[in-house]
Amino acid sequence: MKITSLWPKSGKVRAGLIIVIFFIALALFGPLIAHYSPEATGSDVLSPPTLKHWLGTTQTGEDIFSQFVNGARLSMLVGLFVAVFSNIFAVVVGMIGGYFRGVTDAGMYIITSVFLIIPGLPLLIVLTAYIPSRGLLSIAIVIAVTSWAGTARVLRAQTLSLRKRDFVEAARATGESRWRIIFAEIIPSEVPLIASGFLFMVIGGILAEAGLSFLGLGSLTTVSWGSMLYFAESGQAFLYGAWWWFVPPGLAIAVIGAGLALINFGIDEYADPRLRTGRKLKKSDRRGTRALEGGMTSLRTSLADEPEAVGDPTIDARAALNDEYERAAAVIRPPRRLPGETILDIRHVRVDYPTAHGTVHGVRDVSLVLRRGEILGLAGESGSGKSTLTNTVARLLRAPAQVIGGEVLYSRPGQLPVDVLKFSAEELRRFRWAELSVVFQSAMNALNPVISIWGQFDDVLRVHRPSMKKSERLALAKDMLVRVGIDGDRVHSYPHELSGGMKQRVAIAIALVLNPDIIIMDEPTTALDLLVQREVIEQIMKLRDDFGFAVVFTTHDLALLLEISDSIAVMQAGRLVEYGPAEAIQTEAAHPYTRALLDSLAELGARL
Amino acid sequence: MKYFLRKLGLYAFIAWAAITLNFLIPRLMPGDPVGLLVNKLHGNIDPNAIAALKKAFGITNAPMINQYWDYLVNLSHGDLGVSLTYYPVPVSDVITSALPWTLGLVGITTIISFFVGTALGIWLSWRRGTWTDSIVPAMTFFSAVPYFWLALVLVLIFGVTLGWVPLSGAYDTGTTPGVNAPFIGSILQHAVLPAVTIVLASFAGWILGMRNMMMTTLGEDYVSMAEAKGLRTRTVMVRYAARNAILPSVTSFALALGSVVGGSILTEVIFNYPGVGYTLFLAVQSQDFPLMQGLFLIISLTVIVANLLADIIYIFLDPRTRSEG
Amino acid sequence: MNNGVGDVILEARNLTKEFPSGSRRRRFGPRPTFRAVDNVSLSLRLGEVVSLVGQSGSGKSTVARLLAQLYKQTSGQILLDGEEIAATSGRAFIDYCGSVQMILQDPFASLNPLHKISYILGRALKIHSPELRSAEIREHSLALLQRVNLRPADRYIDRFPHELSGGERQRISFARALAANPRILLADEPVSMLDVTIRKEMLDLLNVLRVEENLAVLYVTHDLASTWSYSDETLVMYEGSVVERGNSKDIIDAPQHEYTKRLLAAAPDPARRRTR
Repeated sequence: MKITSLWPKSGKVRAGLIIVIFFIALALFGPLIAHYSPEATGSDVLSPPTLKHWLGTTQTGEDIFSQFVNGARLSMLVGLFVAVFSNIFAVVVGMIGGYFRGVTDAGMYIITSVFLIIPGLPLLIVLTAYIPSRGLLSIAIVIAVTSWAGTARVLRAQTLSLRKRDFVEAARATGESRWRIIFAEIIPSEVPLIASGFLFMVIGGILAEAGLSFLGLGSLTTVSWGSMLYFAESGQAFLYGAWWWFVPPGLAIAVIGAGLALINFGIDEYADPRLRTGRKLKKSDRRGTRALEGGMTSLRTSLADEPEAVGDPTIDARAALNDEYERAAAVIRPPRRLPGETILDIRHVRVDYPTAHGTVHGVRDVSLVLRRGEILGLAGESGSGKSTLTNTVARLLRAPAQVIGGEVLYSRPGQLPVDVLKFSAEELRRFRWAELSVVFQSAMNALNPVISIWGQFDDVLRVHRPSMKKSERLALAKDMLVRVGIDGDRVHSYPHELSGGMKQRVAIAIALVLNPDIIIMDEPTTALDLLVQREVIEQIMKLRDDFGFAVVFTTHDLALLLEISDSIAVMQAGRLVEYGPAEAIQTEAAHPYTRALLDSLAELGARL
Repeated sequence: MKYFLRKLGLYAFIAWAAITLNFLIPRLMPGDPVGLLVNKLHGNIDPNAIAALKKAFGITNAPMINQYWDYLVNLSHGDLGVSLTYYPVPVSDVITSALPWTLGLVGITTIISFFVGTALGIWLSWRRGTWTDSIVPAMTFFSAVPYFWLALVLVLIFGVTLGWVPLSGAYDTGTTPGVNAPFIGSILQHAVLPAVTIVLASFAGWILGMRNMMMTTLGEDYVSMAEAKGLRTRTVMVRYAARNAILPSVTSFALALGSVVGGSILTEVIFNYPGVGYTLFLAVQSQDFPLMQGLFLIISLTVIVANLLADIIYIFLDPRTRSEG
Repeated sequence: MNNGVGDVILEARNLTKEFPSGSRRRRFGPRPTFRAVDNVSLSLRLGEVVSLVGQSGSGKSTVARLLAQLYKQTSGQILLDGEEIAATSGRAFIDYCGSVQMILQDPFASLNPLHKISYILGRALKIHSPELRSAEIREHSLALLQRVNLRPADRYIDRFPHELSGGERQRISFARALAANPRILLADEPVSMLDVTIRKEMLDLLNVLRVEENLAVLYVTHDLASTWSYSDETLVMYEGSVVERGNSKDIIDAPQHEYTKRLLAAAPDPARRRTR
């Protein structure tokens, strides 16, 4: 892993590091600049901060600054000790449980649960109360014993999921040994979690030591922040208003804790890019994070629609091919004569993604026309910009994507066309679903898992058809289900009770419930098996005949589009390369990319 | 149902583990409680009294298994031994008088801080990218602040300096306990500062957890679909995003509750609030081992029950757990 | 040892695999099981491609994993060079891996994002040729990259997987499999996650390797149509069992079993376009 810049770019992480480094320096060098021994009593009693006693004195005249810096040493040492030992324990338990499964795992899971749920501090109190001579080390050991469970639980879950990942399976198939897989494949992937567990254990250790000392259960012969607070409390510092006595140690604990938590923000944001606030992706940022972010599948899904970041044109042949596609003029044929009038007129739409490597043009000047009742097939491979285009039309684009030009004109019967891209929030809300609805690629993820099918019909109806009575809404929902070939009583089921194909039908039924003019279907059958895909396609065609809606159907499967579409638009690298009636695309494809696509399909056995 | 039974089994096991731990600690820890007590009295103790003490602890020369059996039998009768500080009041009576105060204070504040924190977490994720993002780092300070220190600062400001609220106790000794206005008013007056302490020190964790989960959930397809449905923003945020994001928060209740209970013990100590935390503190101070053990057991069992309740709520929130198996 | 084209090298006899069913294993009593693979027999021959076709849940990927010995079969035998193999761990397993290598479906998931290409290939080389020195390992790694058409190889070797496209990553998977110098390649849906134009390139690569290295190939796929030009023998699986087997071209041109017919009929067909 190459770290090009050790100094993080995130302001939060910077602040955290500064805080932690400050306290480490204080703990290391503070005692050297303190003039007094922390235990030396003096004649200045309960003196507020002066030049002589920077942080004032205690009831017995001890110098608080000396106590504070010595306390910093001990408290942080305890925190560090606890974090190191309980983290090692957590890693061992989490890793072994998660990787080996079976009885070992069951046993470890139960033990972890016991330590997780039995509250730590009362257990600590009872344990320390029995220790005859309470040294700092025994306190630290007891704290370590009671604080590993949370991280162990998290690591176990992560290991369980990692061991099912393909790269672990691939390593096994290569012949890697178990231990090598654990140490070279799994543990490095868990570094963010281990690091974040470590930070929280340091905080936890410092807090637990302070709490115990404060109760008089710590090592009261040594000076820690906790014992300072204990003596401040028992000396009734707050009754004398001696804030300088108890404010510094407590504040220091809170500030260190905040510092460590701020560093943890950095770890979290590396691990899950979605947590990043704002667009702060700078070039160096991405380089620093690359190794970690690649490990997260979330990133892949979030970038799935972004144009693939191809670095240098590495395969010369491919570069030449792309050049050829780029140079070839787009082939736009006059649309086939259709009975319906234009309902959606997409004009010169351009969408940009500002990324780390400069701006990527997601959609480059695309114009398309959709007529009433038409099925418009939008074909393209990953990164072609087809989903970016449909998300633009449905106004579902997420940052960092930006529409930088063009209009999407929607025509209601007998009215002037309106630009969807200029809708106000309220106009947009009324337009959505009632006039244009969407069927998403994976119904698995598009249906809310915790709400029944009925609930997901009902919220649409309540918003868009406020005058309908509940019985009418229910009857309508059932009727829609029957129309997609599902028993009406299934309306009270939850998504997880349905098979993949049924879920996709439900999604289609919900999309139809307001009888919209346009349905955008974003790869609606890609996740389905061939036989199920066939059924769903038949269903869509039949419903189209019944309801007369127009469809924008995106897929990478050109063969499917050739079968079902009236017109086909082929996109490549954000550009519309060919557009025309489906027959024309099939028989006289003119753009080299379309031809390559058709040739590949034929080679792979598709009937063309 | 299967999910629930499995959870129930797990908690039964944890409860058994807590009970057994409670039995083992005094017997396995290096210190000998009776010896400690004898030392405390500087040997001025009748040998017969030592035997009596040992008996009171249930530490006899009988085999461990017999001791364990006796311990379980006593426990099933609610017999936790006799407190040394309040001799001869049974430990169970001491706990019974302390428990309601803690349940009231910690229970209510935990619920308040969960809801306030969760609501703020939703709000912050909703407004991501605006100035409110700068609130998030500030929350880390609150999530790391020691409860007892926060309590001290609040006491200094509002108790000592401003004199707005009483400094200690749960109610004014001048009032007559019972359902009457002065007494209840006094309880509330005394509870304000401890409650504020616990809420302030614990709600930041819920905010951060909820915000993180919301950010993940907002990227899900079902949120996009809800948006595409033309639902009101509030519906999308609450019924689709928050409704799913809250599930991990409920599961992480276990992790959080332990630290809230720990913090509350310390808070009670500062305010001399007569709950189990303060009683535990007194027991530790006076080396009242039977009381200490009894309190540990009750606190653990209460937390286990709270976790079970959280799991039952989870079953209601997530339909997938209901039909599994 | 057999070396001629067409000689049987890996044979599976009556393979059956049962998985515990339900979300959690039962502690007591007989476990409820689910039979993922039911009595499947097949032979892989040097220089030939056998296709295993089925929809999700048909057990086709499980068969591949059984042949790779990533899972232990419930019953049945696997014979390498006519000898039954038993070990799923230790030296014997590593030796087996040296002969039988596997390529997984998802090129985004099958390479650990934390390791550079040099590490990924280097480990595979090191395991199966422990005598190599590090300079030699780098040389061999570069040669492997050349063989899978990642050129110029030195521009790939020090990259991380996420810097490569899906097709390039899948080529890395091929290179990793070849590092063991295997005689059998088990390809589990090697192209289903790739774009159409890249699928063809990838299957062409598989074809070239098969001919040049005289490899026995098992091609697992859900796409029956793609087996026509890329494989010799095809087995169609449905719910754990083989329902039809035979010459690949014959199966597509004249399917016998009802299920195979349905699969073929479900494929998109522009001829079906309705004229409006």
